[in-house]
Amino acid sequence: MAMTSNPDIVGSYVVGARREFYSAMRTELDRSGTRMVRTLQTFGFAPESFVLTISSTPEVIQFAPFEAAVQQLGLFGINADDSPFDAGRVESISRQFNPVGMMGVSAQTLEGLKMMGHDPEAVFRGRVIWARPDAWATVSQMKDVVARRCVQLGPALGFGCADGQVHIDRWEWEVTAESGALMLSSRLNRFEPVSKLNTGVLGSVSSKACSCGNPDTVIELV
Amino acid sequence: MSYPEFLDPLETASREFLNGLQDNAIGAICRHAQGYAPLIRQKCAEAGVDARSINSIKDFREVWPFIDKDDIRIFRDTHSDVGGGTSVTIPGLTVSMGTTSGTTGDPTPIPNSRLGAPEIGYARDLWSIGMRPGDYHVHMMFTYRGGHRRRLYNELGVSDIYLSMHPAELPRLVEASIRFRPTVMNNFASPFLHAMEQYIEKTGIDPTDVFSSYKGAIFGGEPLSDRMKAVVKSWGLELYETTSLGDVASTTDCRMHDGFHAYEDLAYIEAIDPITAAPVADGEIGELVVTTLVDRLCPLIRYRTGDLVVIDRSPCGCGRVHSRFKILGRATDQILVDGRSILPREIMGIVENHSETRHGLFQIIRRDREMPELSIRIGYDPERLAGSPDGLKARLHDDIAAQIGVKTVIELVEEAELLKLGPPHKIPRVTKK
Repeated sequence: MAMTSNPDIVGSYVVGARREFYSAMRTELDRSGTRMVRTLQTFGFAPESFVLTISSTPEVIQFAPFEAAVQQLGLFGINADDSPFDAGRVESISRQFNPVGMMGVSAQTLEGLKMMGHDPEAVFRGRVIWARPDAWATVSQMKDVVARRCVQLGPALGFGCADGQVHIDRWEWEVTAESGALMLSSRLNRFEPVSKLNTGVLGSVSSKACSCGNPDTVIELV
Repeated sequence: MSYPEFLDPLETASREFLNGLQDNAIGAICRHAQGYAPLIRQKCAEAGVDARSINSIKDFREVWPFIDKDDIRIFRDTHSDVGGGTSVTIPGLTVSMGTTSGTTGDPTPIPNSRLGAPEIGYARDLWSIGMRPGDYHVHMMFTYRGGHRRRLYNELGVSDIYLSMHPAELPRLVEASIRFRPTVMNNFASPFLHAMEQYIEKTGIDPTDVFSSYKGAIFGGEPLSDRMKAVVKSWGLELYETTSLGDVASTTDCRMHDGFHAYEDLAYIEAIDPITAAPVADGEIGELVVTTLVDRLCPLIRYRTGDLVVIDRSPCGCGRVHSRFKILGRATDQILVDGRSILPREIMGIVENHSETRHGLFQIIRRDREMPELSIRIGYDPERLAGSPDGLKARLHDDIAAQIGVKTVIELVEEAELLKLGPPHKIPRVTKK
């Protein structure tokens, strides 16, 4: 029996209009999850609360760590697909499980909710909503919604803390800004290292420590 | 040294061993269910049953009460319990909450533990197909089926390629197949097989090259017509059919393709008369009833699935002794027209034989179990329309009426209209309107 040198996971990331395959080991996702706890715990969610993750299957590299963080904090994760056709599930989960947070809300989810006759603002009311860039303008204007941002920088996921700053794991990733665009480099051992990956995301890296107490890198999005 | 033929030695355990295992396991899961699951506790109280008296399958079959989907819905609605009194969250054991497809209403929650019965079942199935350490496995699934947490295949040294269950993902499936040369795929749902056929026609790619590394692909959703089976066979791809074992486990056919294997260490299955609930002998048609033997988070005990099946507990040619069953259809999908029993499976092949309706998208209108006529709404692809819609309607009508032999009424709609009734892998096959 030969040892295998293959990755555990082949997921993907999108830069521009192109979705690229991206490989990783489970241990990479596990350690990212452990570090995401630092951002997620700033909300102080009660154990056994539900947190909904809205994502697509190939986004495993970015969202498996978030799910691991949810689990580490004693919360219950629940999922829906990032698709207008699965927005009914988002509404149903909202009604049945009263999740404290919804990660990964996109324009597709907003469109799907409206298409099915649901008011997104009513579905999201009273919850932390981490909105993707294409949904941010809408979600950030909603009343009684704790709007936070989430963004994929290639294979990395950044998301907002309780104080509203978007954090990226400082051990795993080095983020720099060049000509207004955020570049991503891996710092540790990875199956597929990246170096100066132009993420296509416009923003800058903050030099200030976040008031939430999490010393992870803060990025400011345009 | 080579790897063993079967992943789990239990797969080839003897009938005597499996019977003994079930006799031992049934009491433990019944006691757990009565202690933790409110609906089970209520049903036992009504029936005057104490789980401590269950020491064998024989004891169990004599006294344990049945539950069905209506019991779960009623309990959910009357007790504000989203799990319908059957699911349990146990801190530490519960890692997340999965949900069912929700085809006919609110999705039903299914708590996930670190390693669930469906994952164990699929690992055995994929291994049996030929998946081994060092291989790539295409994981094509919705996220609501357990999120991104699965890791059993990784622990076995297998690489998972994650793809969406969406027609737009087909080019990436082709790209991944050529780049990584996977051995197995799960789940190549039936609508995506149809979409792949179209994609191959449009792009001119060589499917025998794309699928050359595959030892097999598990497909689910709905049964394939003989035409579609032949198409997939021409790609050089062997398909293995799967379905849910009443939400307590997965169940997949083996290389003998002679029924779904129900792993008897994971679940106990039986068949009953759908009207009287009297036991039905193996080999006779009955409603499938399932009981988990392992799931402490969703201890469904004696759950009536509504599926009409024939159970076979004789040893299988694949080397396993675990029981098999064949599905004939759902009891609730059955309609009677002039005394003739009709199930959607009978309609599928006839509809798929026409080019414009080859995707087999249709719904039977079932306002009552007994209907004066067979009324069917059928989706067609306008791009493949040869002649007028009225002409197609007449062809379908004549074909179905001749083969089923009852008065038939056809309503034609563009297939996009039916697909909106999703989720994408299946639409409700019967509808009241």
